[in-house]
Amino acid sequence: MSTAPETVLELRHVRAGYGHVDVLHGVELSVHRGEVYALLGPNGAGKSTTLGVASGRITPHAGSVVLGGRDVTGASADAVARVGVCLVPEGRGVFPNLTVADNLRMATFTGTSFATVQERAFGHFPRLAERRRQIAGTLSGGEQQMLSLARALATDPALLLIDELSMGLAPLVVAELYGHVRRIADGGLPILLVEQFGNDILEIADVAGIMLHGRIQHEGEPADISARLAEAYLGDERKEHQDAR
Amino acid sequence: MPDDVPHADASSDRLTRFQQEVGELRVSGGAANPERLGGRIGIVIMVVAAAGGVLSWYGAYTAGAFEEIQRLIIAGGLFVGLGVVGAVVWVRNSFTRYLRYWLVRLIYEQREQTEQLVADHHDQMERLIAALKERG
Repeated sequence: MSTAPETVLELRHVRAGYGHVDVLHGVELSVHRGEVYALLGPNGAGKSTTLGVASGRITPHAGSVVLGGRDVTGASADAVARVGVCLVPEGRGVFPNLTVADNLRMATFTGTSFATVQERAFGHFPRLAERRRQIAGTLSGGEQQMLSLARALATDPALLLIDELSMGLAPLVVAELYGHVRRIADGGLPILLVEQFGNDILEIADVAGIMLHGRIQHEGEPADISARLAEAYLGDERKEHQDAR
Repeated sequence: MPDDVPHADASSDRLTRFQQEVGELRVSGGAANPERLGGRIGIVIMVVAAAGGVLSWYGAYTAGAFEEIQRLIIAGGLFVGLGVVGAVVWVRNSFTRYLRYWLVRLIYEQREQTEQLVADHHDQMERLIAALKERG
């Protein structure tokens, strides 16, 4: 393993939110080449907002977003997407009334030919090739998530941001998808993956962080984070109950 | 999963290309909260308009020449118009901020309610399963 991995994404003291509501209170995070960074936390902790900041959809109030060593704070979401930062949104984000092939055709906006898009997508997920004429809405949840991932990979991303890959899926399907994610990262693509529950994701992650109340409270090796996870979640719940009283 | 699955093209070449493209990226600096800025601009416009209007009409009241009085009254009218524009800018931005806040609050509340509902159902199901097990 390289001693000085190349940093693809860095968030420095990021504070961000929605209008009056501040959600992130000084987030620090780095994702390196070929790394799977698992960002874990309960609902409302600020995980999706972190992805929003990283993808340029949300401009931070303070702090900076650094891509490939350059401060790009304030760059528009479309510009960030054009340089290769690809977000796979929560809830899959496929077009349910279009066929699998037509969903993949959407990835040609980057200038990549449809043939190349299909080659990349079906290379990663051969099952989609069998279903290329099927309406995406009739695919199983796992296959829809595969389609969403395939479409993202077909755009030749430099950084992949995935929001709650496991949402609404059976554990076996989630395990299969995590296997794909690991293999994709082994090819050199850095992945920032946000999840609410961490046991399975920690098995494939290189680095993990626990986010609570808009801050990354713990960061480190997945094994360390796994040990801290229950404590962090339950401690947080206990504190909330005490505050409520 | 087959072993010959292609890896994403995120090799050193891809990273180099990424860094080049990021280097060419035009960064405007953005605005984290454009409505707040818009609201402040509206207030500044209103203050400037109010001050200009008062000064113009006071000038017209104390002026000696008819042409000067006419000019200052027209200027006062224009400042009133500017004040209205400032008020519209302020109301528009304040309203947008409020609606955004309201929407976020609604989302949070609905999320909490859904979680509570799911947790309640889960508890009920567990109790039901336990009761059925007891009955054999």
